[in-house]
Amino acid sequence: MTSMWFERSGASHSKAVPARTPEDLVAAAARGDEPAFAELYDQTSSRVYGMVLRVVRDPAQAAEVTQDVYLEVWRQSARFDSGKGAVLPWLLMIAHRRAVDRVRSAQSSMLRDDKYAQLHTERPYDSVSEQVQTSLEAQRVRRVLDDLTPAQREAVTLAYFGGYTHTEVAELLKVPLGTVKTRIRDGLIRMRDALGVTA
Amino acid sequence: MTDELNALAGAYALDALDDDERAVFEQHLAGCPACTEEVRGLRNAAAELSHLSEAGPPPELRAAVLGAVAQSRPLPPRVPGARVLPLRRARATALWQGLAAACALIAVAASVWGYSQHREAQRAQTSVVQSLLAAPDVRATTTALKQGQGTLLSSRSEHRLVLIARGLPALPAGRTYQLWLMSETGAPVPGGVFRPDEHGNVEVPAAGNLDAVDRMGVSVEPAGGSAQPTLATVQVLKL
Repeated sequence: MTSMWFERSGASHSKAVPARTPEDLVAAAARGDEPAFAELYDQTSSRVYGMVLRVVRDPAQAAEVTQDVYLEVWRQSARFDSGKGAVLPWLLMIAHRRAVDRVRSAQSSMLRDDKYAQLHTERPYDSVSEQVQTSLEAQRVRRVLDDLTPAQREAVTLAYFGGYTHTEVAELLKVPLGTVKTRIRDGLIRMRDALGVTA
Repeated sequence: MTDELNALAGAYALDALDDDERAVFEQHLAGCPACTEEVRGLRNAAAELSHLSEAGPPPELRAAVLGAVAQSRPLPPRVPGARVLPLRRARATALWQGLAAACALIAVAASVWGYSQHREAQRAQTSVVQSLLAAPDVRATTTALKQGQGTLLSSRSEHRLVLIARGLPALPAGRTYQLWLMSETGAPVPGGVFRPDEHGNVEVPAAGNLDAVDRMGVSVEPAGGSAQPTLATVQVLKL
C-alpha cells in the first residue's frame, strides 16, 4: 500500500515537471542561460531548418540562414513579448522572413531563375507531399491543407514554401493580384480556424 | 480597417509583401488592433505549415550555433521610455487620420510599389509618400494607362502630390517622361521630368498650387522636358 502510494506519487511528480516550454527557455536565454538556449535549439531546429531549406533549397545556405536565425533569437530573447503570442510562431516568423530575404536578395537572382524553371516541373506543394510525414502534427496540417480549395492551397504554398511575393504569385498563376490576396488570406483563415490557432 | 488594406493581412503573414508594401502595412498595423489580431492568428497558421517541411539540420550546425551564441550577449530588454517610436508623435494622429481616410487607396498604392528594385532610391521616395499620407486630406486615384498604370496620391491642403507609376514603357534615348498640372481653364503647367526604372516603375513627387488642378498629364518629351506638352503623347490621370 505504502509503496504503491509512493510509486503513484513518483509518477505524478515526474509529470508535474514537464520539459520546459519554448517560452520558459526563451525567458532563461534572456538571462544568458546557454544550456536553456541549446534546449530550445534541440526542440525547434528541425522545424526551423526544414522550413528554411524548403524555401532556399540549398543546404549550405539553409544552414547559414538557420544559424543567423538562432543568433537573432538569442539576441532578441529579452525582447520577446509573451503577451503577443507564443515562441514558436515568433521563431518561425524570424526564420521565414530571413529565408525569404535570402532568396529575394540580388545575389540570388540566378537562383530565382532556376526556381522559376523548377516551378513548372516541381510545384512546392507537390514536393511537400513527396516527403515522408510521420508526425501527427504533419498529418493534421496536411489534412487541413487538403481541405483548402486547390487555388487557395497553391497560393498559400507558393508564398510560404516558394518564398514568392504575392505579386510574383499572381504573375506565376496568371491571375489578378487581388485574387491572389484573397486566396492567401482566405486560405490562411481556414487553416487558422481548422487548426485552432487563433491568436 | 478597410477591406482592401485588410486583404494584405494574409500576404503579410506569409512574408509575401515586398519591403515597401510591408512598411505601409506595418504602419497600418501600429494603429489597427483588429488587423494586428488577425495577423497574429494567420501567422500562427503559417507557422504550422513548417510541420510539413521538418528536416533535421546537419549535426555540426548545433555546435556552430551554440558557439556563436557563446560569443554574443542577448540585447537588454526594452524599457518604457527607451522605445523607439516608428513615427514622430506630432504626426501620428494626422497620419492615422490620413490612413483612415485613405486605407483603401493605400492598398492600391502599395500594390503599385511592388516591383521596384531600386531599394535605396525607393526608400527616399517612400518617405515622401509616407509624409504625404500624413496629410489629413490625402486622396488616391488609380488610372489605367495605355501601358501600365498610374496612381496619384495628392493633398490639396499641402499642395503636393506623388505619381506612382507602374509598367510604363521604356523610352528611346533622348526622350523623357514629363508631368503636367492640368485644369479646366488655363494651359498645362509643366512639372518635373522623370525616367522609370527598368521595370517601368517610378514615384514622382510634385508640388504646386493645386487649387484649380483636377488632373495630371504625363507626356513623352525630348530630354530635358518641354514648355508645352507634346499633345499626341499626353495621358491624363484624374486627381
